Amino acid sequence: MSEFSLWDIAYNLLLAARWTVLLSLTAFVLGGLVGLLLLMVRTAGNPWVIRLVRGYVELFQGTPLLMQLFIVFFGLPLIGLDVSPWVAATLGLTLFTSAFLTEIWRGCVESIGKGQWEASASLGMNFTQQMRYIVLPQALRIAVPPTVGFSVQVVKGTAVASIIGFVELTKAGTMITNATYEPFTVYGCVAVMYFLICYPLSLFARHLEGKFRHVAR
Amino acid sequence: MKQFFKTAITAVAMLAAPLGAASASALDSISEAGVLKVAVPQDFPPFGSVGTDMQPKGYDIDMAALIAEELGVKLELVPVTSSNRIPYLNTGKVDLVISSLGKNPDREKVIDFSDPYAPFYNGVFGPADFSVEKAADLAGMSVGVTRGAIEDLELTKIAPSDVDIKRYEDNNGTISAFLSGQVDLIATGNVTAAAIIERDPPRKPEPKFLIKNSPCYVGLNKDEPELMAKVNEIIAASIADGRLNAIAEKWLGIPLPEKL
Amino acid sequence: MAYKFDFGAIVPHWQLLFDGVILTTELTVIGAVVGVGLGIMGAWARASRAPVISQIVGVYVELIRNTPFLVQLFFIFFGLPALGVKLTEFQAAVLAMIVNLGAYSTEIIRAGILAIPQGQIEAAQSLAMNRVQIFRYVVILPALKKIWPALSSQIVIVMLGSSVCSQIAAEELTFGANYIQALNFRAFEVYFVVTGLYLVMSILLRMGLKVLGNFLFERRRHV
Repeated sequence: MSEFSLWDIAYNLLLAARWTVLLSLTAFVLGGLVGLLLLMVRTAGNPWVIRLVRGYVELFQGTPLLMQLFIVFFGLPLIGLDVSPWVAATLGLTLFTSAFLTEIWRGCVESIGKGQWEASASLGMNFTQQMRYIVLPQALRIAVPPTVGFSVQVVKGTAVASIIGFVELTKAGTMITNATYEPFTVYGCVAVMYFLICYPLSLFARHLEGKFRHVAR
Repeated sequence: MKQFFKTAITAVAMLAAPLGAASASALDSISEAGVLKVAVPQDFPPFGSVGTDMQPKGYDIDMAALIAEELGVKLELVPVTSSNRIPYLNTGKVDLVISSLGKNPDREKVIDFSDPYAPFYNGVFGPADFSVEKAADLAGMSVGVTRGAIEDLELTKIAPSDVDIKRYEDNNGTISAFLSGQVDLIATGNVTAAAIIERDPPRKPEPKFLIKNSPCYVGLNKDEPELMAKVNEIIAASIADGRLNAIAEKWLGIPLPEKL
Repeated sequence: MAYKFDFGAIVPHWQLLFDGVILTTELTVIGAVVGVGLGIMGAWARASRAPVISQIVGVYVELIRNTPFLVQLFFIFFGLPALGVKLTEFQAAVLAMIVNLGAYSTEIIRAGILAIPQGQIEAAQSLAMNRVQIFRYVVILPALKKIWPALSSQIVIVMLGSSVCSQIAAEELTFGANYIQALNFRAFEVYFVVTGLYLVMSILLRMGLKVLGNFLFERRRHV
């Protein structure tokens, strides 16, 4: 039962890490798009829409991602929609990511002074123009560092996709541990690989933060 | 918010309704698709674990292959854990669960069980310096067990009230807890204990007493009499012609007992 | 696939869920209080002029922030016994949550401290306040006020993250859920109920933190 060498462990974990990266990327891009859409309708919208978006954010920030994925993967088939683990994981992580990103970005948009909205409105700009030319360019600069920082959370969040049978880094780690009974070696490798994926992102976020602070001064 | 509630209520109502009247029998749809989808364990050697190629292997996997062969269809293995194997079956993502399932009355309300296909004896194991011969001797000790496994359910019934039963997520957690000394003893299958001893760890799980003879069953969705009859027929035939015995000797190192 | 829901099957096991809610709450409260305390000390160390301490804290923060909580939990629970430190699953879970939140709150609070204008600190120095006084009255309270929303979100994240503590047999809410589904195979019903419970808990926690924030920062202003 211990035919796994250290090389086998590392090799199999590396293979599984590809899925972690791919899943994170997909979730981050799609989640960003949905988050942006939510941000738009929320900033422009009427009170009902705002409440709806707030409820959405509350729902996905207030329940464990594990349970969200479980319900997407096993709940949809109950209403007649069969989804593959890949679709379910993407969908679940997208919903989760969009809830967090829209909330992060809302803070950034709100930090743009009211005077700017009023000034641009007095120039006869409509909402889309205000967003496009006045608010977003400024908000974007504030938003980039925390957004990149959040991407680390998405990477680590993909670990729970194992509940729906998705073999990513953590799941592969558990599977190998169960075959080798060597939790330390395996989880040590798993930790190192997460660190190798996440740390550059963290560094990048910090770099952007410093750059932004510089610009602001 | 109102709209949110409306949507939520509709969704719940849809979920609560008994869904999609089962049209064709499961057996028919399997032969039509030409594929048998089976949920197998990947965290429970020797019944199911992964090799260096990350493919599942073990007693349960061979059993699944045997059934697929008899049905004349291709086999698709779906690795599952103890917390998602039943949802996989209930949502039709797999046709059978061959995941060293034990049977109890509450479980029988949710799924159906075939005839037994593998022997499974679980007991309490621990280092030599713990003198334990029966459940009553466990008083004051801590016992690690895999949550919701048959040995967990049985041990909970027979153990004195001051036994500290620690329930881990999977087999690996239970074994790690024992090996690292987090628990005094473990309750597990005899084959699992044997597999640990084979690796010669500092803390050896030596047999203390038998909890229950609890063979493994194939799990099926409820009300599939044709599939059930077919599975039972295959199990009976493979016991008769010795193929199941070969699987037992290969993975458990012992022949099948006279009666499962 | 005519699955029939039976939420009634959970009712006999309500005690498991109730105990789970209690334990999750305990884990969260202890983890949050001590973790934020650790974060304040960490932030102070990061802001201090002792480069070695600052760097050690920096490494701790990066290690924790860039690895999954589950892996940290495994190392504390299964790894520390090898060094002769044996923790119960509750202690291990609490410790993991403290260590985890400590790292995040160090970063969050540090950002708050960096946002304190240098002039305020200089003004406090000219009033002959010592370093501890300055940190307490001029730096940390305004900094905490500034980052309170971010810190609150992080505490909610840690509360939800405590669900993986069931892996080391800590009997929190997710443990209750998984145990019930192992007993009666009613996974859907249990997970729906537990998701609802988590939602209620996080809404209550968020509200509680808001009230606490108002109490800590608004009242003090009038004193």
